[in-house]
Amino acid sequence: MAAERADGVPAAPDIFEREALSYLDALYRTGLRMTRSEADAEDLVQETYIRAFRHRDQFTPGTNLKAWLFRILTNTFINSYRKRASQPQTTELGGVEETTLYHRMAQGPASSAGQPEHEVIDSMVDSEIKEALDELPERFRSVVVLDVEGFSYKEIAEMLDIPIGTVMSRLHRARRSLQRRLYDLARDRGIAAARAMPRPEGA
Amino acid sequence: MDCSDCLERLHPYLDRELSERELDEVRVHLDECGGCEPVFVLERVFLERLRGSATSDVCPDEVRERLILRIRQDARGGS
Repeated sequence: MAAERADGVPAAPDIFEREALSYLDALYRTGLRMTRSEADAEDLVQETYIRAFRHRDQFTPGTNLKAWLFRILTNTFINSYRKRASQPQTTELGGVEETTLYHRMAQGPASSAGQPEHEVIDSMVDSEIKEALDELPERFRSVVVLDVEGFSYKEIAEMLDIPIGTVMSRLHRARRSLQRRLYDLARDRGIAAARAMPRPEGA
Repeated sequence: MDCSDCLERLHPYLDRELSERELDEVRVHLDECGGCEPVFVLERVFLERLRGSATSDVCPDEVRERLILRIRQDARGGS
């Protein structure tokens, strides 16, 4: 199937290339979150595209090109980058309680101040959200970054070669962990209602 | 469906991963239960915030240019 590749300047405007490159931002930011290194993210995305273009005959037109590219990205990441990812090899999320964000806020001082919970979420800062993501163990982080790109549990399971149940539990626990971290930050900064309108305890 | 069954389906519900039947069961419970509904609403607001922030990064222009150049070089020259 490599016959056409010899010195092929594509004859027609290359639709495959154009569509593939439309996912460059998504692939890059996903690579950046997975590797936590700009240089590694660039290498990872480059390798992903080079593999994709070399094997473009294996892509079935009309199917999901974004998912196909992300499968190559995650494969490449797992095979080449995961081992040397610059991080302590934590694979567990310590002590994530089963508290929903709503209940966490309801129990916290924010509720007694009568501040709408939504405002606490609004007060969360982009850079803090990204930092909190980066602090997650890689196996949890990878599931979250694929989720935010819009992939289904099944697609994520296939990309990371793990069971769907594992995707669900990692996603769930990662979200709880992010919520706890980001809520604590919002509160500590005094942006949360807790600090804005303190009230005596025990109504 | 009671509240704990409903809360167990919080994320699959928001992620649109439930079957039609389960989806209906959750909806019926949410309509009836004043306690669960705000939990779901707030969780959705948070997940949208997370998604918005996590997908806001773009590839810097100079990186984009380098990447496209190298990808095209490989596609033409092969190796």
